[in-house]
Amino acid sequence: MRASELFVLVSIIVFIFSLAYITSLGGLGQLPPVNVRLLAQRYLELTWNPLKPFMSSSGYESVTAIVWDFRGLDTFFETAVFYGAIIAAIAIYRGVKISGKGRTTGMSPIARTITRLSTILIPTVAASIALHGHLTPGGGFQAGSVATVIVVLIIMVFGRKALIRKGMTKARILLFRSLGLLGIGFTAVAILLAGTALGLNAYVFQNQPKPFAPLGFPKLYDGMILGGSLLLFNLFEFIAVTAGFTLVLLLLSLGEEEVRGVVEK
Amino acid sequence: MIEVFTLAFLMLVSVASVVAAYLAIRERDMVKAIVYSAIQSAMYALIFYVLMAPDIVLVYIPVSVGITPAVLLFVTKKTERYDGD
Repeated sequence: MRASELFVLVSIIVFIFSLAYITSLGGLGQLPPVNVRLLAQRYLELTWNPLKPFMSSSGYESVTAIVWDFRGLDTFFETAVFYGAIIAAIAIYRGVKISGKGRTTGMSPIARTITRLSTILIPTVAASIALHGHLTPGGGFQAGSVATVIVVLIIMVFGRKALIRKGMTKARILLFRSLGLLGIGFTAVAILLAGTALGLNAYVFQNQPKPFAPLGFPKLYDGMILGGSLLLFNLFEFIAVTAGFTLVLLLLSLGEEEVRGVVEK
Repeated sequence: MIEVFTLAFLMLVSVASVVAAYLAIRERDMVKAIVYSAIQSAMYALIFYVLMAPDIVLVYIPVSVGITPAVLLFVTKKTERYDGD
């Protein structure tokens, strides 16, 4: 590294730290208070509170409770946006044939063996993150992005065609993606549908029973915390995110010459 | 005392992330730039972990170290590896 480059680097670092110092002194506007704010206090208090059953959520994890229960509708639309982005990617690549035929040149035996081992390890970790999302840090999106890492590895080490030959065709991945989103939608309105069928009052995105709305997802089973709708939301989001990312990676890994012929038509 | 250590660690990690970001911008070889960018993201993940946001860490590591470099590598494969003048 030359002296001039070092000078630029040191100036950037000095600039960033002076900016941070000015910000910490309140030079760029009023700072939020350091102590826990009232809204955060409410969330922390109500995430798991057997004394206030009508107001609390159904898991230990505050973040999951906020994401899928207190602010469930926001996350639903977020997932819908993600789904729209995937549809846009598919629309661009429409008509492109994705086949698993032909030889693939993979990487070295060391890389292949390690990837083979990881095909068991990484999905296991992802599943534990998804299914424990209402108890420990984690959730559907986190688990989905962890599970996608194995897809990246398989495409990089074995090649895209190997992935398709194992049964991960475009149609099948799209099916999983849609099943995930349908599952999220169904979980959101499940209590409402049940309430309508039984003639009871119910809400969209209802998780636990509320005043005058007695239906709710099971919170406990045999002393085990089920997490109510949080578990279902995490599971379906896991499926949807994994399939969505897999599809985008599959489309991006297509060779340019294969795509160009179709797109330029 | 422990707060001082935490803050000092955060400062070290953030300086390292700035260095990695600078190298990623300076680098003409796209593949190396992607690796530097992944190093920067790993530093950010450490910062998130120290600031007690494990949920963010769990999503940040696979996305920024796994998926983003993969997508960028695919894109690099379709364009040019070396940034010319």
